[in-house]
Amino acid sequence: MKRLTTHSLTVAAIALACTVVGTVRAADIFLPPDPGARNARELVSFACSKCHGPTGNGISISPLFPILAGQNQVYIDTELKLLRQHGRSDPHARGFMWGISHALTDEQIAGLAEYFAKQPAVTGRPSKNPALAAKGKEIYENGVASPKIVKCAQCHGEVGAGTNNVPRLQGQHPGYLALQLHYYHDKLRENVLMQRNVNNINDDQIAAVVEYISTLTGDEPTDDSP
Amino acid sequence: MRPLRPGVVAALWVLGVTMLMLTAQPARAVPPFARQTGLACEACHTMPPELTPFGRRFKLNGYTLTTRPPLVNDIDDHKRNTVWLTDLPGVAVLAQMNYSHYDRAPPDTGAPYPAHAQSDTFQFPDQFSLVYAGAVSDKVGAWLQLTYNGQAGSIGVDNIDIRYTDHTSDNKWVWGITANNYLTFQDVWNGIGSYTIPNFNTVSLSTGGVGGTGTSGPILNALGPGVVAGLGAYVFYNDSLYFELSEYHSAVAGGSSPTVDSVSLAANGGAVDRFAPFARFAYERDWGYHSAQIGASVLYVNWIPSVGYISAQQQAASGTSGVTPTQTYNPGVINRYTDVSLDWQYQYNGQHDIFGFLGHVTHERQQNSDQLVAATFTGASSAIYSNPTDTLTQFLVTGEYFRDRRYGGLVSFTRTTGTSDPLANGGDGSPANQYETFELDYVPWLNVRFILQYDAYQVVANNQNPFNLSHANFPTSPGFPNVKASDNNTWVLGLWMDF
Repeated sequence: MKRLTTHSLTVAAIALACTVVGTVRAADIFLPPDPGARNARELVSFACSKCHGPTGNGISISPLFPILAGQNQVYIDTELKLLRQHGRSDPHARGFMWGISHALTDEQIAGLAEYFAKQPAVTGRPSKNPALAAKGKEIYENGVASPKIVKCAQCHGEVGAGTNNVPRLQGQHPGYLALQLHYYHDKLRENVLMQRNVNNINDDQIAAVVEYISTLTGDEPTDDSP
Repeated sequence: MRPLRPGVVAALWVLGVTMLMLTAQPARAVPPFARQTGLACEACHTMPPELTPFGRRFKLNGYTLTTRPPLVNDIDDHKRNTVWLTDLPGVAVLAQMNYSHYDRAPPDTGAPYPAHAQSDTFQFPDQFSLVYAGAVSDKVGAWLQLTYNGQAGSIGVDNIDIRYTDHTSDNKWVWGITANNYLTFQDVWNGIGSYTIPNFNTVSLSTGGVGGTGTSGPILNALGPGVVAGLGAYVFYNDSLYFELSEYHSAVAGGSSPTVDSVSLAANGGAVDRFAPFARFAYERDWGYHSAQIGASVLYVNWIPSVGYISAQQQAASGTSGVTPTQTYNPGVINRYTDVSLDWQYQYNGQHDIFGFLGHVTHERQQNSDQLVAATFTGASSAIYSNPTDTLTQFLVTGEYFRDRRYGGLVSFTRTTGTSDPLANGGDGSPANQYETFELDYVPWLNVRFILQYDAYQVVANNQNPFNLSHANFPTSPGFPNVKASDNNTWVLGLWMDF
């Protein structure tokens, strides 16, 4: 018993020492900024622009990739950090963004979020299928009672501008939005709230709501609005 | 234990393949560019080696896009990189295997008819490559490939492309310099030369064939590793306009002499004299899921063919007796080739569906040396060409479709026509050929691809056809009846892996 106690104390002491040393090291080591690291503008030119707009304006050509111009800064920051730590695992996140984002620093992510948020945003345009857009407007503004679909406007705003970490939908590629809705519906993209909100949505309703979102323009009405 | 009945064995095979198809999940690809960028194959390829718009820009930017933190990254006082090395060299293995079956067993190359060869060829591997690919510095990238070629049975330096690139901050201008050893390997649209689609390397007649013959085509398709090396400069403007100017020089591999002489001429079938200029223009427009491109190119080559020829100077020096007619480099006789190509590509890169439609028309004008043309021939051996000028036109068009990059296929049509030159081509002198390639692909993982291909020939003229009795490869066959183009029809079962 005595030997066991002595042994246990020795182990505990070594563990405590390691912890202390580790703590001291973590606290004492200062990592200076890497002067060779690219800043946000350079990163956009070097990497982001290959998919999210060739000139660096954040307006992607292919609907496979989202338009980032004018997107909410907090949302971009949050998503990039999620992607960096593999907190989003939809197929395109895995195929494209897991790798591209994995070495980004918090400072670079903050810089990229600010950069894209400041780019002139894209707005919607009139629908070529007004009947479909009208059906989508009903879902967007009022949701569906049964089976339950939560109205989009509740979080994304009446004109789809979003706020903070709720993404801007206005001006986004319809194809991209439809794909994300399918990802949420199929539980391929992590976000418990969105998964629940669109759990009952069907393909026709996705087509309709995306068609309506593509028509949204303008700024969110404020409390002072008439 | 009772042996299983054939039906049971077949059922187990079907079950096994079905299980593989059901359980296989798309995986992130792992070859060097994927390791370097963290991007899956789908970022750069519709189906390798065909490039997506992103893949084209990755290549035009010199393979330098990387997300790997450097293990060694020194800078000078101006914050300029002086060395940049990752912890992981971009090394990969590319392997292709194929099993081919000719509709008709080819004649035996060393014994008279009715002796014949097997109808089946198993190439395992057909091609096995070690590749270094990726960024060398922040502005320099390289593709360096060493290949064992199953048909040649040897290992050699394969494709090389070393690039220096830079761009403006808004990417309005991208420019670069490429040093490569394969004309058209540097191209990004898969429209001209040797990297067109279909690209799977088989033993079918169109890509080598029985006895290593192959169908006739323009010289644009033939200036590859071991024959040439070149330097080019390019600019890509406004994400749409591309212009390139390159020059290629003879870079003979395998010759006994460090410079090009009669021995190394014979080893490679000839050599480029001095410099071969190549100009390339392309316009690409991308919208939505669509990408379209049209392009044009011009190649001019002074080519010294390896032929039985003794020059007047050789005759004066040693007479004709006891001299083996052999073309020399200098003084040598030269054929002049001008290849003009038009190419196009349309891609639809959807969320699930990929369509492609691409091809080219290449027109070649071949001015034969009057020293080798029958009417003006003055050499000591025999004339090589009937005409002072020959022309050749190749038309290739391919349509393809893939679903989820998992299943798909393509249909390709190739037709080559040209002037009749009996001395050059034998028989009635036609260089014509026409064939289709039908391909089914199953891609359980993005870097593992099973290919079932059928090549159907309607026209295989004269000495291109290995079943032709007068073909030089089968001089001892006295009579091999009913030679048809369709004798060359080939089934190919292939496997393509990158890792």
